[in-house]
Amino acid sequence: MKTKYKSTKYNSYCIAIICALILSGLTNCTKNFDKFNTDPTGIANKNLQIPTLFIPLEQEIMYSADDGYQVGQNLNADIYAGYACPPEFFGTSLNNMNYVLLDIWNPEAFNSIYTNLIGPIKNKLAATGVKASLPDFWAIALIVEAEAMDRVTDKFGPVPYSKVGTSLVSIPYDSQQSIYQQMFSQLDTATTTLNSYITAHPGQTPFANSDVVFGGDYTKWLKFANSLRFRLAMHLVKVDPATAQAQAEKAMAAPGGLMASASDNAAVAVAGQNDYWQITSSYTDNSMNASIGSYMVGYNDPRLPVYFLPVNTDPSQPGPLPAQYAGQYIGIRLGTDVHSKPLYSGFSVYNYNTTFPVTAKETIMTAAEVWFLKAEAALRGWAGAGDAQTDYQTGIQTSMDQYGVSGSAAAYMADGTSKPIAYVDPINAADNSPALSTITIKWDPLASNEVKLERIITQKWLAMFPEGQEAWTEFRRTGYPKLFPVVNNYSGGAISTQIQIRRLAYPLSEYATNGTAVQAGVVLLGGPDNGGTRLWWDINKGNF
Amino acid sequence: MKKLLLLILLIPFISVRANTPPGEKMAITTGRLVSLNGMTKLNTDFAAIIIKGSVKDATGQPLVGVSIGIKGTTSGTQTDINGKFTISANLGDVLVFSYVGYVKKEVPIVNANNLDVELVNDGKTLNEVVVTALGVKRSEKSLTYATQQVSGTELTNVRTDNLVDALSGKVAGITISPSASGIGGSAKVILRGNRSLDGNNQPLYVIDGVPISNEGNGMGQPNDAYGGNPEGGDGISNLNPDDIESMTVLKGGPAAALYGSGAANGVILITTKKGKTGKMTINFSSSASIDNKAYEPQFQSRYGQTSAGATTSFGPAISSAPDNLKLFFQTGNNFTNSFSLSGGTDVAQTYFSYTNTSARGIEPTNTLGRNNFNLHETAKFLNGKLTVDGNMNYITQSLFNSPALGYYTNPLTGLYLFPRGQNISQYKNYEGPNGNNGVPTQNWPFQEDIQQNPWWILNRNPNETSRNRIMMNGSVKYDITNWLSIQARGSLDRLADKSDQKYYAGTLAPQAAPNGNGSWNGSNNTSQQKYADVIVNFNTPGKSVFKLDGLVGASITDHTSDNLSFGPYPQAPNLFGLFVPNLFTLQNIEVAPAGANNPYGSNVSGGTTSEYQTQAVFGSGNLSYKNWVYLSLTERIDWSSTLAFTSALHYSYPSAGLSFILNQMFTLPQEITYAKIRGSYASVGNSPGQYLTNPVNYPNANSVSFNSAAPYPTLKPEITKTQEYGTDLRFFNDKLSFSFTYYKTNTINQTIQVTPPAPSGYGTGYVNAANIQNKGIEVTLGYNLLQSRDLEWNSTVNFSRNINKVLDIYSKANIDSVQLTNSNSYRSYVRKGGSYGDIYGQTILKDAQGRLMLADNGSPLTSDFVKIANPEPKFQLAWNNSFRYKHFSLNLLVDGKFGGQVVSVMQSLLDEYGVSKAYGDARAAGGVKVNGVNPEGGAITTVDAETWYTSIGGRGAILGQYVYSATTVRLREAALGYTLPVQNSVFKSFKLSLTGRNLIYFYRKAPFDPELTSSTANGLGGVDIFNQPALRSYGLKLDVSL
Repeated sequence: MKTKYKSTKYNSYCIAIICALILSGLTNCTKNFDKFNTDPTGIANKNLQIPTLFIPLEQEIMYSADDGYQVGQNLNADIYAGYACPPEFFGTSLNNMNYVLLDIWNPEAFNSIYTNLIGPIKNKLAATGVKASLPDFWAIALIVEAEAMDRVTDKFGPVPYSKVGTSLVSIPYDSQQSIYQQMFSQLDTATTTLNSYITAHPGQTPFANSDVVFGGDYTKWLKFANSLRFRLAMHLVKVDPATAQAQAEKAMAAPGGLMASASDNAAVAVAGQNDYWQITSSYTDNSMNASIGSYMVGYNDPRLPVYFLPVNTDPSQPGPLPAQYAGQYIGIRLGTDVHSKPLYSGFSVYNYNTTFPVTAKETIMTAAEVWFLKAEAALRGWAGAGDAQTDYQTGIQTSMDQYGVSGSAAAYMADGTSKPIAYVDPINAADNSPALSTITIKWDPLASNEVKLERIITQKWLAMFPEGQEAWTEFRRTGYPKLFPVVNNYSGGAISTQIQIRRLAYPLSEYATNGTAVQAGVVLLGGPDNGGTRLWWDINKGNF
Repeated sequence: MKKLLLLILLIPFISVRANTPPGEKMAITTGRLVSLNGMTKLNTDFAAIIIKGSVKDATGQPLVGVSIGIKGTTSGTQTDINGKFTISANLGDVLVFSYVGYVKKEVPIVNANNLDVELVNDGKTLNEVVVTALGVKRSEKSLTYATQQVSGTELTNVRTDNLVDALSGKVAGITISPSASGIGGSAKVILRGNRSLDGNNQPLYVIDGVPISNEGNGMGQPNDAYGGNPEGGDGISNLNPDDIESMTVLKGGPAAALYGSGAANGVILITTKKGKTGKMTINFSSSASIDNKAYEPQFQSRYGQTSAGATTSFGPAISSAPDNLKLFFQTGNNFTNSFSLSGGTDVAQTYFSYTNTSARGIEPTNTLGRNNFNLHETAKFLNGKLTVDGNMNYITQSLFNSPALGYYTNPLTGLYLFPRGQNISQYKNYEGPNGNNGVPTQNWPFQEDIQQNPWWILNRNPNETSRNRIMMNGSVKYDITNWLSIQARGSLDRLADKSDQKYYAGTLAPQAAPNGNGSWNGSNNTSQQKYADVIVNFNTPGKSVFKLDGLVGASITDHTSDNLSFGPYPQAPNLFGLFVPNLFTLQNIEVAPAGANNPYGSNVSGGTTSEYQTQAVFGSGNLSYKNWVYLSLTERIDWSSTLAFTSALHYSYPSAGLSFILNQMFTLPQEITYAKIRGSYASVGNSPGQYLTNPVNYPNANSVSFNSAAPYPTLKPEITKTQEYGTDLRFFNDKLSFSFTYYKTNTINQTIQVTPPAPSGYGTGYVNAANIQNKGIEVTLGYNLLQSRDLEWNSTVNFSRNINKVLDIYSKANIDSVQLTNSNSYRSYVRKGGSYGDIYGQTILKDAQGRLMLADNGSPLTSDFVKIANPEPKFQLAWNNSFRYKHFSLNLLVDGKFGGQVVSVMQSLLDEYGVSKAYGDARAAGGVKVNGVNPEGGAITTVDAETWYTSIGGRGAILGQYVYSATTVRLREAALGYTLPVQNSVFKSFKLSLTGRNLIYFYRKAPFDPELTSSTANGLGGVDIFNQPALRSYGLKLDVSL
């Protein structure tokens, strides 16, 4: 028995040794596993080529990945800014147009930016090591991210930013104040980097093939970054005037300068079809808002036929208006009962023939806006802003230049009598409204700051068309231009018809998947999660 | 890895060589010791000699665990795992060899030579030796889990199109759903219920111990009602049943645990035929069968076309309607001719076979051709210590015009929906005048996406799949000592597949490309599965009351595939047309759809190799005490490449089992010949899908599309935990056998796709979650009722019941369902609290009094999607009888699936078009009688038939109205054979049989055969969407041995 015992033990040693050797051998053999489990038909994050990577990021500013412009911006910011109004209720008579915020639309402006722009920057671009290896490219990413983030936070308020991409389970919300600080800080990094790159490599455009905004021109990116800083600074003028002034003065004195002429404008060449063309011509879902009609028609604005097409009175087309309206520009009042197509289809629509053809780039910031920012800065006495009147008039001129009506600018600026006109709905008299403002175009140096501000913001609003996001922000900050309130308000008291909508509600998906964080976000918001709660910078007090 | 395998091969040799001498000595020593202890002192006076030998069965297979006693004494021994034995005895002693199921044999010892004994099967029962995981043969009583073995003859008694279909009714706990596509089709094989949400629910197929690929050929199985994918058959359907010695079904985790990944759904072990020593045999088998549809939909012949040009049949009364189906369907047939040679010497044995299968379907132009070559060579060297075994299969198969299932590219839609009273024969000439592109248009009066001219589809939308397959496996086994052997095996399974689907110009949208010149898609795929293992087998020598045997080993499985797909799928369905009409060349496919801004970039996909690999080490040990208690332990660790980029690349599968042989423990009544109780537990993993852990981004025409899927660094494999308990009893000298098993499995850690919060930066993510439970029982009852020289009657009953319950999906994140299919009126969800396979559809709303809520015109108000059916049977019962009277034999297999419900989307369309008998009868009766109520509360008792059937039927049908019992009882197989008395003839045997399959439905309430499936994938269970009807076959079979 002894022998047997020994022998068995010997055997088990032997087996153990075999096992150990097999094990150690095999574990070495797993070195190809990474290769095997990487789909060779795709591009791993670490192999993403910077050029291919930037294009979708820049395009995503306009919600390109899922073709989401319509629900991401048009059916909220563009309509609340008084630019657009759909001749359509999309099968649901209670919707954003009458202040019933639809969770099937609005989350696009939130989710898509995280999953297709900020997420890829933080999770994929950062992983390529571009921050250290190609700081100039990283600078562009920071600017694109700030531009996109501003669009999210100014719609919703406190949102996740600093911790984006850190968890799949719970991503905390940042206060809006913190988000603005982060955006300024990102712009600091970006502008410093770009500035030194330009100095060291004058005229070089390593980014040329991958930039659908400026074709790789870093000097334009630098101007855009400085101008974006200026725009963000002005948002804070009520809530934190010191920061607003400091950042604005920093922007105005920044190396590389601000966007100054139409050639500096930032516009994205989107994937596929131009969104305005698509929603207007292809979907027939987008018309002129009564508010912008009231101003532009009243001002005989030379940009009117550039922006819009006159009403349709051709009986062979859907929803024609009576012949007496031929050649006129009539918009649709937000919140009216549009029933269904084609009742309101004959109203003026965006000019998809010439200004917004299928291939047109989409503007995200204009030089004209910067001049109006300077005009307001001058009004507030900030260093480097120059003269308010000059800034104001340069703003108008720059916009006219942009739209090819430069020659009409002088007469337009000299017009001290034209005023917005009353709104008359040819279909439903219940929508009619007198003009809400008497503000004229011509600069009046003697007017009060409040009147001057209304004049500046009104003209800025006309110049910024069709970029409704910033226009809605500025309306909420200043109260200008005076927009027709919604005809029907079904928000159940959550949103005041007169004060108008202040924000969008968080996506329900956040409550479902990121519940704790969004609850904390609502606390940061400081009010109920609905369209009536004012954002951090949206202080209910006078402009001066 | 090659180097590594060589190394592994060498290691045991090196270490064992050092080990061998003491081992051998010990064997001899202990042998003597035992004989001294075990025998009377008197015996030591004689010169005891050591007798070595082996015990085999008639086929030359070694028998494991044969009891060998010395007559008149209490001493004895048993054969080892190789059928070998060593015993100390005296000249003149008589050795008694006994083994359950075999005739007892007594052999006197006349000299000290090796003793090779052949035992003859007593024809009564179950083989005692069972092939288990990795091809290891073990005695049945040592098994701690349920397996069931089916012999090759049982599989070929009545031929089936797909080999695995022949298991239906012959194994308890298996559910086989053949694809409705008929000849050459795949089969969905489910053992003990569905369990995996995301992965495969089908078993692993293993040939001679080595896993093979079950990959299908073609466009893949459909997952929605539109279907349209041609079927190319699965891997198992390629095999030739004549080459199969037996199939063993390892139903549960404990049996399969040694196979690791892929074995979570059970294993079907196939043992192929080998050459036999001494006997040279030539077999010739020829069978011919004819197939007809077993039923057809019920049409009305009372009302004609609604109006000229209309697609519907709500028109005026007609006196009769032509039988358009008769014009279309044909009689299918199958001719299989098989030839095999078997023979050999003690040293080498050869088996060679060739089989040709030629079949045609019941839909014209549908043909199948298959050739199987098989060469199996076994040889022994070095005094029988080294066994070399090689097996090579070469298979070619081509399948033409496999019927597409679903709405698209299916001739049956146009045929069945054709207006009643109209004669379809004018459209047999399917081509019309040339179109403006110079090629013929389609001769068909309708412009609808779901129907085209049936003959146009057959001739102008042809599909073809072909496969060339080589399967090679080889093994080398060396017996180091009589208690230790080492074995190395390798196999290659290489599939070269081609499939394509053509759409000629004239095909209607949406199948055809917009440019009207026709379109073409297809793929070339070569996949290769390589497997290698090294196993060291051991058993403790000697005659201790404790016995230990087992194995340790390592294996590697590597799978590569090389795929090139072209044409519309998958980037842009139906967008890319042909430049020149009807010229089907790659160069003639558009690069971008005509006139469109092409966001897809390419009409070619694949073209690169994908590869995955599993490496494993495993071991098992079986300890027995006095042959009445057996303990089995196994452990396997897998390293899976699909876990790359996660923290743990490996995972382990333990299993443990215990069995007691009660008749050895206690003295039981004499009626009980054998009684075993057993219990086991196992945890078996299933590797996650490829590429989940490292999402990559994909190029598009505009640059790149970010993949919004989150990487999954904590991914774990799916785990199925199984407990099973059972008993095996035999009574009356093995005449009656009974086996019972209870099992419970829980499948957890499944990979479920979730939507993480958007600020994570990701649009999708995965979690390991869900708990799907299957509980059930399996009973097998066998009875040799009669056993005489002239008359035999064996009867077997298989019963099984499985209860599936979804215990959880991902309640942590409030996710309680996973959608398998979402297709118009039919949806399939796996929902918490429900069970796998639940079908959801709309029903008619009812008021508090149970009355149907109807609109004023009688059209019903519909509910949300609710659970309306589940096709899984409540229980299955099969009764197999085989009779023999003198030279006649008769086999009858009756099987029934009881419970469950199925739905018919087809019926809903027949109703909507007014061609169904239901519509005709209702209209003739003045309308549909209902117990309804209108919105104002007024009673509605009759609804106009057209209003009713157009509102409940159609693609958006209220599918709750189309639920049928799935209970079906059928005469599945019948074979009447006559064996010619061929004594003193050149023939060794000569047998002629008449066979029939699916002959009689004793009970069937559904308008189709609920067993057929539209897809062998996880979705689309229990639904008929213009499926080809089930077939009824009659055949003639001749078996000759020379």
